Amino acid sequence: MSWRDALVLAVKGVRRRPGRAVLTVLAVLLASALLTALLTISTTARTRVLDQLSSGGPLAGIKVAAAAPDPAQVNQDNPDVGAPKDLDGAALGRIRALRGVRQVIPVLSVRQYVVPPRGPGRRRTQPFIGSVVGVDLRHVGLLPITLEAGRLPVAGATTEVAVTDGYVERVGVTPTQRSRVLGTVVELAAGRLEDDGGHALVRGRWTKATVVGVVGQDAANGELLMSDRAVREAQAWIASGVNNSRVLGGPTSPYAGAYVVAHGIDAVPQVRREITSVGYSTSAPENLIASVRRYLRVVEIVLAAVGIIALVVAGLGIGNAMLAAVRERRREIGVLKAIGARDRDIYRVYLIEAGTLGFVGGLVGTFVGWGIAEAVGVVVNRYLTQQGLEGVRLGLPVPLLVGGIAGATVLALVAGTLPALRAARLPAREAVSGG
Amino acid sequence: MVGLRHRFESRAGDVTVLDGVDLHLDAGDHAALVGASGVGKTTLLSVLGGLESPQEGTVRVDDHDLAGMSRGELATFRRETVGFVFQHFGLLEALTAAENVELAGSLAGAAAGPRRRRAAELLEAVGLVDRARHRPLELSGGERQRLAIARALMNRPRLVLADEPTGNLDERSSTLVMGLLESLPAGHGCTLVVVTHDATIAARARRCFRLSGGRAIEEAIPV
Repeated sequence: MSWRDALVLAVKGVRRRPGRAVLTVLAVLLASALLTALLTISTTARTRVLDQLSSGGPLAGIKVAAAAPDPAQVNQDNPDVGAPKDLDGAALGRIRALRGVRQVIPVLSVRQYVVPPRGPGRRRTQPFIGSVVGVDLRHVGLLPITLEAGRLPVAGATTEVAVTDGYVERVGVTPTQRSRVLGTVVELAAGRLEDDGGHALVRGRWTKATVVGVVGQDAANGELLMSDRAVREAQAWIASGVNNSRVLGGPTSPYAGAYVVAHGIDAVPQVRREITSVGYSTSAPENLIASVRRYLRVVEIVLAAVGIIALVVAGLGIGNAMLAAVRERRREIGVLKAIGARDRDIYRVYLIEAGTLGFVGGLVGTFVGWGIAEAVGVVVNRYLTQQGLEGVRLGLPVPLLVGGIAGATVLALVAGTLPALRAARLPAREAVSGG
Repeated sequence: MVGLRHRFESRAGDVTVLDGVDLHLDAGDHAALVGASGVGKTTLLSVLGGLESPQEGTVRVDDHDLAGMSRGELATFRRETVGFVFQHFGLLEALTAAENVELAGSLAGAAAGPRRRRAAELLEAVGLVDRARHRPLELSGGERQRLAIARALMNRPRLVLADEPTGNLDERSSTLVMGLLESLPAGHGCTLVVVTHDATIAARARRCFRLSGGRAIEEAIPV
């Protein structure tokens, strides 16, 4: 009997018992779908997250402080800084020129008199002196800034502000109800020292900004986040005062710090060393990244193991279904032998039958799994977009899809081997037996 | 067939069903095997047709000595030399009538074209040409048995073995089926052995053997 004839006979055999075939295919389908979805998600997590880590991103960034390094702590993730040291454009230029540096994002900071709006029960919150952090919000995806509620201020806007949970608690709102501060207006005053005929006079530059979002941020110390433009304008007002208004605690360093993105995760230690040699203190979550990588690997292994267990269960299902089919069709097998079928003909038919079930289940299941991964990707992307981060594109993992289909087919063939052998070894006299 | 012995082993004890059967048939013979239930008619047929190897004794069909054959050789013997007709028809429900007939050719390695033509000829011969695309469950009992006869003839066997071929048929269908079977020795030049309980069918054979006490005794056919 040719392979083609065996295939026709096997397919007709499958179609003869549609209920059992559908259930068996369903088992393979679910297992393949689960494995494909898990592997697609975990592979994407590894490649996209680690790619982001290795090609530059929030976790691959190096925070540069406007301070000299403490020689005793240069290798720590978050070292104590040394003496304050101005970080100006020239210093940023030197850092930008270092080998392995992909991007340098300056971080500004200005201390201002903050007047929050009336809180719950129309109770006015005590004004306070707070730090306003300013960054180029076009690069927020590269900065350690996480959106908790609302949205980020528009890049370049001077009337929008995002606040941290520190501010939220200060105005008497619990972090779980942080969205209550959205839409409120905060008044900010930058103070300038003026000489009024021999008398020192402090003149404030008052601005109003609407709270549009609540963020968690680690770019610099501060409870408010605004565009770099808004902070620069406040800094310029303060600096235009007598003696740069230093008596009021105005900034001495043009930049509060900088965020340096290295070309690759492996370049981070070297870039940190070189920035230290330029004379500034740095911090970077090197050990954290190593831990994240290890955890991602573990997650990947666990997810793959879950999927493989599902596939093995599906394989047992195929084996069981095929054994049941052999039991039911003993006389039919006997008849086939009576009319001349060799052992290998019977073996071939049953093996093809198992392979067909595995192939169909694997084919449909793999694409269903990919669809599930895509659906999960949509949800994840919605979250990432809300965070101002770049979304994740799953793409079509062709090797994974081909591997899924081939794997399910091979598994079915392995699971079908024993039933096929059993069928092949049945004696021809089954044709005339009582069954 | 000389000194054929066959026994079934079981935990309750061995049962000897054939105990020195001697039987000689000439090419083109039409023989009936009769006897009470359980005397070994079907076992004798199985050994004769190569469904199982003889445990003891000699069984020769043409030039084939079945006693020394391997599983593969027995399969080849069944495919090339024997045609079976079963009481339960033994048709594959998933295949059409034409495909059931062709299947025997497929197992013999016949090319698609010739075996399709041969199947059409045989379906015509058994009066089922217009049911070629029907599945066995869509045919009557008589039609199924005629289909089984067509399949048995697919590879031009030298020996046709029929095990209670009319056991599941009504009288009219039985007559039709037996007419077909009885025409085989003359029409196709093959030897026909029919296991039956039906004395009328046995009486229409050229030779009749009664199995009793593990042995085959030839009986005279009443004229």
